[in-house]
Amino acid sequence: MNNAKAHLKSDNMSMWMRRQFTDYLAKVLGTAATLFGLFWLAWILWTTVSKGLPALKWELFTQMTPPPGADGGLLNAFAGSIIMSGLAVLIGTPIGIAAGTYLSEYARYSKFGATIRFVNDILLSAPSIVIGLFVYELMVRQMGHFSALAGAVALSFIVLPVVVRTTDEMLQLIPSTMREAALALGVPQWKVVRQVLYRASMSGIVTGVLLALARISGETAPLLFTALNNQYWASSLLDPMANVPVVIFQYAMSPYEFWHALAWAGAFVVTMFVLLLGIASRWLLLKGKNHE
Amino acid sequence: MSQSHTLPLSDALPQDPREERDHFHDRLFRYAVTGCATFVLIALLGAAFSMLWGGREAFSTFGVQFLWSADWDAVQKKFGALVPIYGTLVTALIAMIIAVPVSFGIALFLTEIAPAWLRTPVAAAIELLAGIPSIIYGMWGLFVFVPFMAEHVDPWLDEHLGPLAIVGPLFQGAPIGLGMLTAGIVLGIMVIPFISSVTREVFVTVPVHLKESAYAVGNTTWEVVWDIVLPYTRSAVVGGIFLGLGRALGETMAVTFVLGNSHRLTASLLEPGNSIAATIANEFTEADSSVYLSSLIALGFLLFIVTFIVLAVARLMLSQLARRGGTTS
Amino acid sequence: MNDLAAVKQKNVAAEAGSIATADAKITARNLNFYYGSSHAVKGVNLSIHNKRVTALIGPSGCGKSTLLRIFNRMYAIYPKQRADGELLLDGVNVLDGNYSINRLRTKVGMVFQKPVPFPMSIYDNVAYAIRHYEKLSRGEMDGRVEEALRNAALWDEVKNKLNQSALGLSGGQQQRLCIARAIALKPEVLLLDEPTSALDPISTAKVEQLIGELKTQYTVLIVTHNMQQAARVSDTTGFMFMGELIEFGATEDMFTHPKNQKTTDYITGRFG
Repeated sequence: MNNAKAHLKSDNMSMWMRRQFTDYLAKVLGTAATLFGLFWLAWILWTTVSKGLPALKWELFTQMTPPPGADGGLLNAFAGSIIMSGLAVLIGTPIGIAAGTYLSEYARYSKFGATIRFVNDILLSAPSIVIGLFVYELMVRQMGHFSALAGAVALSFIVLPVVVRTTDEMLQLIPSTMREAALALGVPQWKVVRQVLYRASMSGIVTGVLLALARISGETAPLLFTALNNQYWASSLLDPMANVPVVIFQYAMSPYEFWHALAWAGAFVVTMFVLLLGIASRWLLLKGKNHE
Repeated sequence: MSQSHTLPLSDALPQDPREERDHFHDRLFRYAVTGCATFVLIALLGAAFSMLWGGREAFSTFGVQFLWSADWDAVQKKFGALVPIYGTLVTALIAMIIAVPVSFGIALFLTEIAPAWLRTPVAAAIELLAGIPSIIYGMWGLFVFVPFMAEHVDPWLDEHLGPLAIVGPLFQGAPIGLGMLTAGIVLGIMVIPFISSVTREVFVTVPVHLKESAYAVGNTTWEVVWDIVLPYTRSAVVGGIFLGLGRALGETMAVTFVLGNSHRLTASLLEPGNSIAATIANEFTEADSSVYLSSLIALGFLLFIVTFIVLAVARLMLSQLARRGGTTS
Repeated sequence: MNDLAAVKQKNVAAEAGSIATADAKITARNLNFYYGSSHAVKGVNLSIHNKRVTALIGPSGCGKSTLLRIFNRMYAIYPKQRADGELLLDGVNVLDGNYSINRLRTKVGMVFQKPVPFPMSIYDNVAYAIRHYEKLSRGEMDGRVEEALRNAALWDEVKNKLNQSALGLSGGQQQRLCIARAIALKPEVLLLDEPTSALDPISTAKVEQLIGELKTQYTVLIVTHNMQQAARVSDTTGFMFMGELIEFGATEDMFTHPKNQKTTDYITGRFG
């Protein structure tokens, strides 16, 4: 009798040990996985800094992109990226805010609204190269040549779904009592949306725009077949235009050391800009939350 | 309602110019936002249709054979999608083999293992990985990771796994570092933050009382995650994985740098290959005949269809949890 | 149920006979409300006396807030909610689809359970609706804002920080700001939906005192779950139960000699 009990107990013990061991193993592996992820982050950032920082020089922002084999700067590429990204935000943001407003304020529970939301989510994660091909067919082929305008439109299709999504989410976060209180004053809905709801969700919407800007700052694929590249200044928006990502791509793939250094310098600037935008948008969102 | 006819008209109808104006503006605003929302739908349909249209010459010249022909000959103007499709699928598969367990581990760490003060900064750091532009991954891959693979990993694989019976052919070849294995690993790193952040977010949605009641009867952390959290969030976790898969399939710049741009069909993961996106990015501006260009756009159409399906599945799986969360809480 | 209805009819008839005909601001005839297929307000008849305070009481879920939200057609912003019957404001049916909803809301102001200041300055909160309806000079607008804030007994507390964000005010101040915002448009009727349920006792006392002052200018309808509050502030009280208006009459009578057994049970605390 006693024997049997002891036996049972030791069985329980060994099972308990096994369970503890599995749990321990899972915790070790989970921690290892996290370190694995952080390891790559550190390696990539370290590479960008260690190769980009030495290549950083003042001429980067004062000299034009060089001809093959020569040294120079990235002035026209930076300018082109700023122009096209700015234009893309200017095109994509109003359309995106309007579409997000529709989803949240006019179609929150409707079938059509759900469809648009679904389509927008797909557009949000669609490969950016597909967007490039789309705009190539839509504009470059119709106009007969590559252009900065086509590049900006391609980027705006990447801005659009990000802004739609954040606007929709941020407006939905506003308590319905705020809408009721404003509508109860007899003010028409469009004014309530613009003057009360947009104001209440301002930090969130701006965050969305910043996130979108961060996304397009490094986008290369959609610009390859739309804005292309330009060693000189583009004389108008209808000409091909230099931009940092495509220049990085071209220079990195080239055999010249000068160009590699320029590519790293460009990569460093773009990465820092994107990370700063990421931090700024997080901070803004946090501030918006504390404000409420 | 018949009563309304006896009402004084001035009060019953919006005759006041301001009210008419308000009414008009309200309608205008509504049409404008509806139009913009419809534009999103049109954009997606337009993208699909424009690529189908751009690829029509390739489809009509090569027919369905385009899908499984391994030809890619700019001189004889013969094109087939097999090599890029194969490369796309293989690199994405390698990426998922790496990213899925790692992401699960990270989500586990961030929701159950790490002390509370560590969770936010680590989660933010992992999400930084998602913020780094893909071209940076490409450059890092080309200048740092490819030499590393060529020097340390490829020779070892060739020596130890190459002679094996079944998997051997996958790991034979000159150790040049470029190739599908390298591309797959870089893709894996890229999609880790996407899958892990979705997984972490859905793990958090598990009601605390479910977990607490399991802990209360003596379950270990691992048992709670495996028996309670994972079954509860299964569909959303699968959705997150598909989201990462969609990303891996369509990623362009990172793989273009490290794949090697070769149209030779090879079993070896260590030899240069190609993917749909890399082919388009590398060759688009060099395409010297209309059927060449059309073939590239046709490739883009195929990529679009595949990622559309994968992303649609992802969204449906994700929304399932959201719906259940809505009804039970 | 039959005799219950009969009593109710009698009450309403009594009301209609005594005050409604002479000085009714609002009259409801067979008013019904539906959330989708659920019938939330059932055949309500009542008439609300001009420039008096009318309270609606009843257990939670009885439909008193729902009834209040019919008076400015607040429900109309939600797709599955609808009302039928007649609701006469100065003899005109406001439920008629042709009746401008925004005009109705300028005449019938509303204050909600939780204070919801707009994310703008105190001044702009009050001026917000006036700006839409009237073109005023800066000086005139200042006057209107001051008047509204004075009427809401908030002026002295905020006169030195009109340009600060309204979100920085205390809960009680925010609620009085919402009252100021509602009366800035000079409505005729003021709907208060449990206006003190989110406030501390001192703020509650201030708001209650304010309600007493408001009735000199406005017809006030207040929904409250607090019977003492109804007794303190109102002239007329309606008791609702399960979507029906069970009893409606002078507050004094209601609390001292309720005519209906259900009312007696409720006000003596037997349920609710």
